Amino acid sequence: MKKLIRVTVNDMEYEVAVKPNQTLVDMLRYDLGLTGTKNGCGEGDCGACTVILDGTPVSSCLVLAVQADGRAITTIEGVEGKDGLHPLQKAFIEKGAVQCGFCTPGMVLSAKSLLDENPGPSEEEIREGISGNLCRCTGYLQIIDAVKSVSK
Amino acid sequence: MGEISMGKFDVINSRAVRVDASDKVRGRALYVDDMKMAGMLYGALLQSPLAHAEILNIDTTAAQRLPGVKSIITHKDAGLVKFGVSPARYDETIFCHDKVRHVGDNIAAVAATDLDTALRAVSLIKVDYRELPAVFTVEEAMAEGAPVLHAAFPRNITAEVQDEFGDVEAAFKQCDLIKTTSLVNKRQDAAFIEPQGCIASYDFSGNLTLYSSTQSPHYIQRVVSMVLGIPMGKVRVVKPYVGGGFGPKAATNHMELAACLLSMKTGKPVKMNFDRQQVFMHGRSRHQFFHHMTTGVKKDGTIMALKHDCYLNGGAYASFGIATVYYAGSLLGGPYKLPAMKYHGYRVYTNLPACGAQRGHGGVIARGCWEQQLDMIAQELGIDPIEMRLRNMMSAGDVTCNYLDMSSLGMKECVEAVRDRSGWKEKKGNLPPGKGIGMSCGFFVSGAGYPIYRSDTFHGTVIIKLTEDGGTALVYTASAEIGQGSDTTFAMIAAEAMGIPLECVRLESGDTDFGVDLGAYSSRQTLMTGLATKEAGEDIKRQVLEVLSEELHVPVEDMDIKKGFIVFKGEKPDITALRTRYIKEHRGWSDNPAMDEELSFREASRMAFLSRGSIVGKGKYKPPILGGQHKGAAVGTSPAYGCSAQVVELSVDEGTGKINIEKMTDAHDCGLAINRTSVEGQMYGSLSMGLGEALFEEVKFDDKGRVINDDLAEYKITRALDMPAIEPIIVESNEPNGPFGAKEVGEGAIMPAIPAILNAVADAIGVRIFELPLKPERVYMAIKEYKMKKEKEKGIEGKTLAGSSQKQA
Amino acid sequence: MSLPEFDFHAPGTVEEACRMVAGFGAKAKIFAGGTDLMLDMRRNRISPEHVISIPGIEELKTLEIASGMLTIGACVTVARVVKSKEIAAKWGALCAGAKALGSCLVRNLATIGGNVVSARPAADIPPSLMAYGASLVLKKTSGERVVSINDFFTGTGSTAMGPDEILTRILVPEPPPHSGAGYVNLGIRNACDINILNVSSYIALDGPGGAIKDARIVMGCVAPTHVRVNSAEKLLIGEKPTDALFQRAGEAALNAATPRGSAYSRASAEYKKDMVKELTVRTLAMAYREAMGR
Repeated sequence: MKKLIRVTVNDMEYEVAVKPNQTLVDMLRYDLGLTGTKNGCGEGDCGACTVILDGTPVSSCLVLAVQADGRAITTIEGVEGKDGLHPLQKAFIEKGAVQCGFCTPGMVLSAKSLLDENPGPSEEEIREGISGNLCRCTGYLQIIDAVKSVSK
Repeated sequence: MGEISMGKFDVINSRAVRVDASDKVRGRALYVDDMKMAGMLYGALLQSPLAHAEILNIDTTAAQRLPGVKSIITHKDAGLVKFGVSPARYDETIFCHDKVRHVGDNIAAVAATDLDTALRAVSLIKVDYRELPAVFTVEEAMAEGAPVLHAAFPRNITAEVQDEFGDVEAAFKQCDLIKTTSLVNKRQDAAFIEPQGCIASYDFSGNLTLYSSTQSPHYIQRVVSMVLGIPMGKVRVVKPYVGGGFGPKAATNHMELAACLLSMKTGKPVKMNFDRQQVFMHGRSRHQFFHHMTTGVKKDGTIMALKHDCYLNGGAYASFGIATVYYAGSLLGGPYKLPAMKYHGYRVYTNLPACGAQRGHGGVIARGCWEQQLDMIAQELGIDPIEMRLRNMMSAGDVTCNYLDMSSLGMKECVEAVRDRSGWKEKKGNLPPGKGIGMSCGFFVSGAGYPIYRSDTFHGTVIIKLTEDGGTALVYTASAEIGQGSDTTFAMIAAEAMGIPLECVRLESGDTDFGVDLGAYSSRQTLMTGLATKEAGEDIKRQVLEVLSEELHVPVEDMDIKKGFIVFKGEKPDITALRTRYIKEHRGWSDNPAMDEELSFREASRMAFLSRGSIVGKGKYKPPILGGQHKGAAVGTSPAYGCSAQVVELSVDEGTGKINIEKMTDAHDCGLAINRTSVEGQMYGSLSMGLGEALFEEVKFDDKGRVINDDLAEYKITRALDMPAIEPIIVESNEPNGPFGAKEVGEGAIMPAIPAILNAVADAIGVRIFELPLKPERVYMAIKEYKMKKEKEKGIEGKTLAGSSQKQA
Repeated sequence: MSLPEFDFHAPGTVEEACRMVAGFGAKAKIFAGGTDLMLDMRRNRISPEHVISIPGIEELKTLEIASGMLTIGACVTVARVVKSKEIAAKWGALCAGAKALGSCLVRNLATIGGNVVSARPAADIPPSLMAYGASLVLKKTSGERVVSINDFFTGTGSTAMGPDEILTRILVPEPPPHSGAGYVNLGIRNACDINILNVSSYIALDGPGGAIKDARIVMGCVAPTHVRVNSAEKLLIGEKPTDALFQRAGEAALNAATPRGSAYSRASAEYKKDMVKELTVRTLAMAYREAMGR
């Protein structure tokens, strides 16, 4: 039986009827149409489905949609502000941190969470902060470079 | 050499921002699973749980009764038209009818109103099997009396290759040192982050459109047309954004064909996706190779001959395997002068998921084996390994003994660059125990010289159409942007060829309606699609200038277009009439040119339209006839070869065997860098994959042929914390057969990674390892055995005071 | 692959959760961080009729240090433990274990309680908890009991916890002066790896420069559960710490380890045994360094 949940996504309130066994990533993608959150493995290994849940980056394939009831989520679609792209997004573009782009949304969200908590991370902390996000294209170095370039 | 070309160009040879990056950082770029269509159904596959079994009966009645199920198809619906990659080895059907050959082999597919229903229906299909004995290893498969996967291929040999160039045995007689070693890797997975997916949509006029996460819309279109019996003109394959490919997505998969058939049966769009386990069960990534090589050299390090045997564990179908087994031999022809080479290769069927092509197709492990052996030879001869490589190096214009033409070759420059920038001379031989430095070279094709099916087809066609208002060029190519940055590359090439800024180019790609392009494999697109793009751009420029010539009475050859403006080589003609005409057309527009401004491309291309109608430029590319006359001579040929050298510095924790790669210095000769940022991106990505393959990656099976690590936790690819610092060095040798001098970087850059690591590990621990991956246990055990052996030797040496001071075992 | 169908429950209190657990029995599974449960369900290894989600229960998220005792609520995330300066200062080996668990994304969901209750021999949290002599508070409708973590694991995936019980908190005593601990885990990659082997060691000295008066050595991945190495512990007690002594302790651990090591396990038995020794020596050295510093 579906359950009605109330969830804030990118500052918008939604009421969604979800099945108990539905994952958060599926709800975001297929119910809300927020397809920037990607599904790469379904098992919490790749980080492509990273969203920020109540301030913490998590793999949304490991969270049940019902568990998002009453909580706030930021997806990649909510990273761009009123003044345009987030500095991280700009840096990803400029530094060549994007190739196939499938890991990019999750990567940006992990990096954003890191910088929100620690605006001046060391390179090791940056690597640690994106260690849950797999990228098969870039070898990470241009991504690390991009994050570094917007660190304080 | 070096960066001589800097400044010669207006658009290319720069650091451009990718044309797709803005959408990708916003999560706006659409991949196939992001798409949705009205009335869309969801499909699922029934795949075999057994590695080898006869199919006795397939009962779909229970599944048919499930509400929401719209169609169930098996071999009875799909027919038995065979397909595959090489027409000489078409050995697959959409669904199995007589038997299954690996865990994950395809039996049936369901389309239903939602995915859960489709999956439930699949679980309700009852298949009766009679299990057959299975073979999983090369030895088992080739044994006398072993079960045979495909009746037409006794001893399970998909393909056997025997080549000899020069006289190897005669050459060995002149050698001072002959060395034999081996190397074996484990089966890899490409581990792209986006699993394969597709949507098929069949309309009521009989047109089929397939949206797919593919590397080659053209090859998929051909196979769909052939297998389903629909004219190619009615099959359109569209590639949305693709989340990485690296090889396996270059071949048509069963899911694509099943989705097409389900859409035809139901008259509705059908979406299907692999989950991560199915990605592993489908396979088609790097083979497991067993290389055995003997090299003969003179005292001074001159390489005289190579004798090479190789066995490939190929899995249940041929896929790219014939090309793979040929590449495994032919790609050792260079970059060293090698007068004689003998190769004997077998590609073998086993009851495992099929292997296929992956970055560095066929050549990666062969390169690993040989470059480690060359290092050992250098050591025995007392020659610095870099010095020995330089002594043997080919140069531009040389042709290998197997007829590969090195039309440009910045190999020496690459080697010298990594030697100097890594501090090789100071470090080699002077590092403390546990630390090592190693190097390797490699080279790779810039596009296969021949298509995968025999044909005189163009390998790429490109159309550029100017918008009728002038000012914007629309580039249409069927090439495949899969993350490597090809869309940006071709937009840049088009802009450079037309003489207009990059912002004036809009590019659409990955659609078979745009023409023929063989797609993203064999590192072909920059050179091949690039040449077609350049030709189309030049065609546009010529047409625009022709019209201008008529209008202004200036000969075409006295004009050019640069940075979006018309350049007059001689006296500047009066453009007043032309400009007045343009401005009159644009009354009320705020961006009209002032009278004293230079004549713009926008004005000129508008004039061209007014004079001739739509201005369409066409480009095409087909390589000349390449290579020798021997059987299989096509594989390895290419209009150009990229090459690279690498130095790796690492440390080994001798207590655990764990390797820590500290730095990689990598130089790659890409002819000319169209987009420097993307070239470096390919170098980094290749090294990351090479590092993973060298240290971590192996697909493991249980004794029933099931993948036991079919996830990205236990199949270990490189993570951010595993990547060392990399110094990338771009070398530009100006390839005569490439667009503006450009050639490949996408795959060649992986070639030296594994052997450079192998050589550095040996330098660190004093012992050679001949099996991959170099996981801690393997390294630790090698050290342990070596120490025990040394202890024993010490006992003897103590008495004789002789023995070797050799570091190597 | 999708998840099996189940009813979802999110009790607001521990009492409510206990009632549900008692009522549903084996038909229910507790969802703490979900990082193991979601995989088990997706892979069809389990298909519970009821899923009881507990990370919303405030009481299970307390993290406090009072009168010489660290109390960690079962639903405290591993990430919180990693970030806690107090834990890092006094229970460094526990912090190291937490840091070694998965990626930062996994740690943000995974809970300390979940990592204990799932009872996997490769888990990163239990060895240090055992080394520090932690105990576990198990609660059911009729009351609660405290068990030593030493007696908790009964096999791979099985524990002494009853089907009607919930782990509510973990109690870790503050290490005495002149004591120290070390944790080392060995994987193939630098991070996010499932362990080939892990060892945690704890020693307490009889004053600065004194003899070892207490020792606990715990190894993982060599048996169905994490195991204490009694022989090595005995050998240490009463002795002055030296490299040679630690080598002997390592040797004893090697002899005590009985890893299976099949073609499908992550490493051979021989390698695992050698690593038991290596990591025992290394963790003892770490423990000794810490003991000398406090």
